[in-house]
Amino acid sequence: MSDATSYAIRAEGVTRDFGPVRALDALSLEVPKGIVFGFLGPNGAGKTTAIRIFLGLIDPTAGRAEVLGYDTRREGAAIRTRCGALLEHPGLYERLTAADNLDFYGRAWHLPRRERRERIRELLTRFGLWERRDDPVGRWSRGMKQKLAVARAVLHRPALVFLDEPTSGLDPVATVGLREDLAALAAHEGVTVFLTTHNLNEAERLCAQVGVIRNGRLLAVGSPDTLRAGRDTGRVDIAARGVTEDVLALLRACSDVRSVETGNGRLSLSLANGASVAPIVTLLVQQNVEIEEVRKARATLEDAFLDLMGLDTGENGGRL
Amino acid sequence: MRDVWTVIWKEWREFRDQLLSLRRGGLSALILALILGVVAPVQLGPEWVQSKIIVGYWPFLAATMVSSLIADSVAGERERHTLETLLASRLSDSAILIGKIVAAVLYGLGFAVANLLIGLVAVNIAHRASAPILFGAQRFLVTIVLTALASLLMAGIGVFISLRASTVKQAQQAFGIAIIVLTMGPLLAFNALSYETRARVALRLAALGETRIEASVVGGLALLSAVVIGAALARFRRGKLVLD
Repeated sequence: MSDATSYAIRAEGVTRDFGPVRALDALSLEVPKGIVFGFLGPNGAGKTTAIRIFLGLIDPTAGRAEVLGYDTRREGAAIRTRCGALLEHPGLYERLTAADNLDFYGRAWHLPRRERRERIRELLTRFGLWERRDDPVGRWSRGMKQKLAVARAVLHRPALVFLDEPTSGLDPVATVGLREDLAALAAHEGVTVFLTTHNLNEAERLCAQVGVIRNGRLLAVGSPDTLRAGRDTGRVDIAARGVTEDVLALLRACSDVRSVETGNGRLSLSLANGASVAPIVTLLVQQNVEIEEVRKARATLEDAFLDLMGLDTGENGGRL
Repeated sequence: MRDVWTVIWKEWREFRDQLLSLRRGGLSALILALILGVVAPVQLGPEWVQSKIIVGYWPFLAATMVSSLIADSVAGERERHTLETLLASRLSDSAILIGKIVAAVLYGLGFAVANLLIGLVAVNIAHRASAPILFGAQRFLVTIVLTALASLLMAGIGVFISLRASTVKQAQQAFGIAIIVLTMGPLLAFNALSYETRARVALRLAALGETRIEASVVGGLALLSAVVIGAALARFRRGKLVLD
């Protein structure tokens, strides 16, 4: 097989059983080259198993997958040569220095000495770790280790990088920093990034496409916009003047209104499923409330994700 | 071959950094080298060189050192969560395992040979004689070969033990028991024989001659090492290791 395909990953009915437990259930997925793909799901959903199969570390029980055009069962070595990975743990040698950690993997990928040195310098500088390159990694903070692990994953300029929850356990500042680094990497290096995460905000900001998996089954796949589309949050934000206690009582009495909150001259309403905002506006106008702005809250990826988690009852899996 | 050297490079780098840190192992290695390389030879004197029993000492020393390193190298990778990342690299299973085994064997052999040479110097300084106290060429060669083979065998056994242990400590404890069984077992078994049987065995061994006995031991160890290393290579497979 060659890697002359427009897909970085193509899985067809990939199933993996561990004894009686089905970790992946007929996963079919196509990840185009050159994008950041987010693989979202709760713990135990099958994300790590999928990565292990795509890297040719374990075989599927049924189905087949191709990564960069190579069959995962038969051509695992060719896949691993062309991929980089940050798995569940950073996987760094804590007794070694940062430079030695990268040097080892540079040697493993047969990077010539000069190129290896230049690349190590380039990546450590980009991640702000160059000054600490001679420290044993064991003395570093978790955020620094994660950055180094990402640097290691892209050291050999792979065509595809698997990042298994790269921001897991990081504080918010480190998370934002690493997210920016990942975005810059994808943009500068032109690699395909396959990212698993619990952080839906992160996925929304970074990913061109996302797949949602639960109990080994792919529930949905598409761009964050596609997944959000058609999802009504039921939240309405109204900037208004003249809202009295009587008006609030009227709103709370409406069958279409689930909850009402006020503050800073704004009304935040949560409407029942499928309820229209027009009758609410009419009611407010009739009560002499001056309305300046009415805004329906846009569904986030988190809304879509939670919606998918709730919808999956076993009969409608795979439905958007 | 290049990949094997890459793994050896990493193993030595890790080990060097550990040795350089007195707190993490450098001090104990220094004390061990002082006792085994200087104190013991000086106390034993020329016997330290001439005794036939001492031939078994170096392989035992090397095997002990190998056991500590291979447990750290194999079980330690799992305990420190570096194994899966290593397996996800382009390095082959065999390059990873052979690199680890060779690094451990080189360390065990190096430690034993260094102690042997330091001991020779110490004996000759402490017990000055008209001629230098030295090993015979054959004796020296047999010692080195036996030490290398014992290291190899221990490394192979160590891989099996370490693959079944979840921590380095657990592997080292199991290894300690294995070394005692392998070294004391044959001696205890021999002592359990009747006096007549032991006498017959001793007579047969004496009839074989020193060279044949040494050749048999070398051959037996080489065969055993090859079998154990072969089995270790068959066991060390990505698919199994990732799921263990």
